[in-house]
Amino acid sequence: MASRTKQKEEARARRLAEEQARAERARRQQRTRMIGGVVAVAVVVVIALIALSIGGSKKGGIQTGTKANATVTAVNQLLTGIPQSGNTLGSPTAPVTMTYYGDLKCPVCQAFTLQGGFSQLVSNDVRAGKVKVVYQAFCTATCSGPDPNEFPLQQAAALAAGKQNKFWQFAELFYHEQGDETQAYVTESYLDGLARQVTGLNFAQWKSARSDPNLTAEVTSQQNSGKTIGVSGTPTLIFKGPKGQVAANAAVPTYAQLQSAMKQVS
Amino acid sequence: MTAVAGNGVPVSDTVDRRLRIAIGVLCLIGIGVAGYLTYTHYEGIKVLCLSSGGCETVQSSVYSKLAGVPVAVLGLAGYIGILFTLAIRNDLGRIAGFGIALIGFLFSLYLTYREIFTIKAICQWCVSSAVLMTILTILTAIRALRDETAPVAPRRVKTVPRAERRRIERRKQAARR
Repeated sequence: MASRTKQKEEARARRLAEEQARAERARRQQRTRMIGGVVAVAVVVVIALIALSIGGSKKGGIQTGTKANATVTAVNQLLTGIPQSGNTLGSPTAPVTMTYYGDLKCPVCQAFTLQGGFSQLVSNDVRAGKVKVVYQAFCTATCSGPDPNEFPLQQAAALAAGKQNKFWQFAELFYHEQGDETQAYVTESYLDGLARQVTGLNFAQWKSARSDPNLTAEVTSQQNSGKTIGVSGTPTLIFKGPKGQVAANAAVPTYAQLQSAMKQVS
Repeated sequence: MTAVAGNGVPVSDTVDRRLRIAIGVLCLIGIGVAGYLTYTHYEGIKVLCLSSGGCETVQSSVYSKLAGVPVAVLGLAGYIGILFTLAIRNDLGRIAGFGIALIGFLFSLYLTYREIFTIKAICQWCVSSAVLMTILTILTAIRALRDETAPVAPRRVKTVPRAERRRIERRKQAARR
């Protein structure tokens, strides 16, 4: 009798153990499936993010049609009536000088020139003769890109426009139509396209000025002057005035930050 | 059979607790790194960098944003997400944490590739975030793969003192007589 009860109990315990093992196996399998699913989803999400990152890379390039007209109008509105001489924008007698170390292919310089405080500085203070801006070439994005040889080419092209006092129109248009820094897009046709958009620029004269070896030497000299004073990134903005010299300490300074730097030196 | 540590807490429970603490600490460091990069981005402040201009070059590259959103913000969301999954104490929470960490790790791998071969500049903040994501992926994977089915042994319970038990026993015997 006792042995039958014992047998029953043992059978029950076996059944329970088997059920428990089955449940555990099922749970383990479910978890493995879930982990596999999560890995697959993660891979798909990352592929989508990479596609978005590559697709989202700036296209840029020479604008045409109404878009180009709007850009040219905006650049002319900003600069018309402001004196220019070579790479200097503003009155030669302005008490404060802002030296702008930049690279035409640098997206941060583009952000500063088009969305940062630069446009307001030009519209208000440069136009009023309080400050003049001197552009100095300093290779950053171009030298990190696929073809650093584009740097002297693009900067000399801007200096060639400066021979006709159109440096800033050329630079502004370059920033407006800047391409992807990871692509070697600064070709002859790209530079020609920009030059043709500069209102009042004599294209033939600009073309001939570009072959002047002194322009490339000037680009190298500007780069070396930046290195001498410890410039490491672009834009680097140095304000010089009667009270001394100060650098704007922000990657993309706002107009308020530029004004504060101006006040410190004037 | 679950091994029980000296304090009566099962070993599996102790290991999980340690993993959660490690993941939590790494997430907090990650939030600090990604938070700093997000702050400098929106405030327009230059990033503190040991290498000359490396961080600025990376931060200003086209790869620093994804559909207009700074990748630092995505990193911040990732660390907060992993931290949040620690509060979900089941398989779903463990696997979700692993999933977020894996996405962060794979995307960090891609960004590091871009830094080295495309941008040709290294930002130590980005590298540190990539290292954090790598460790987090390993830890969350261990946590997701560990067998948590073993029954948890009861914690040390307050027992009736021996003298009291004897008294109860004596009363029961007297009642039977």
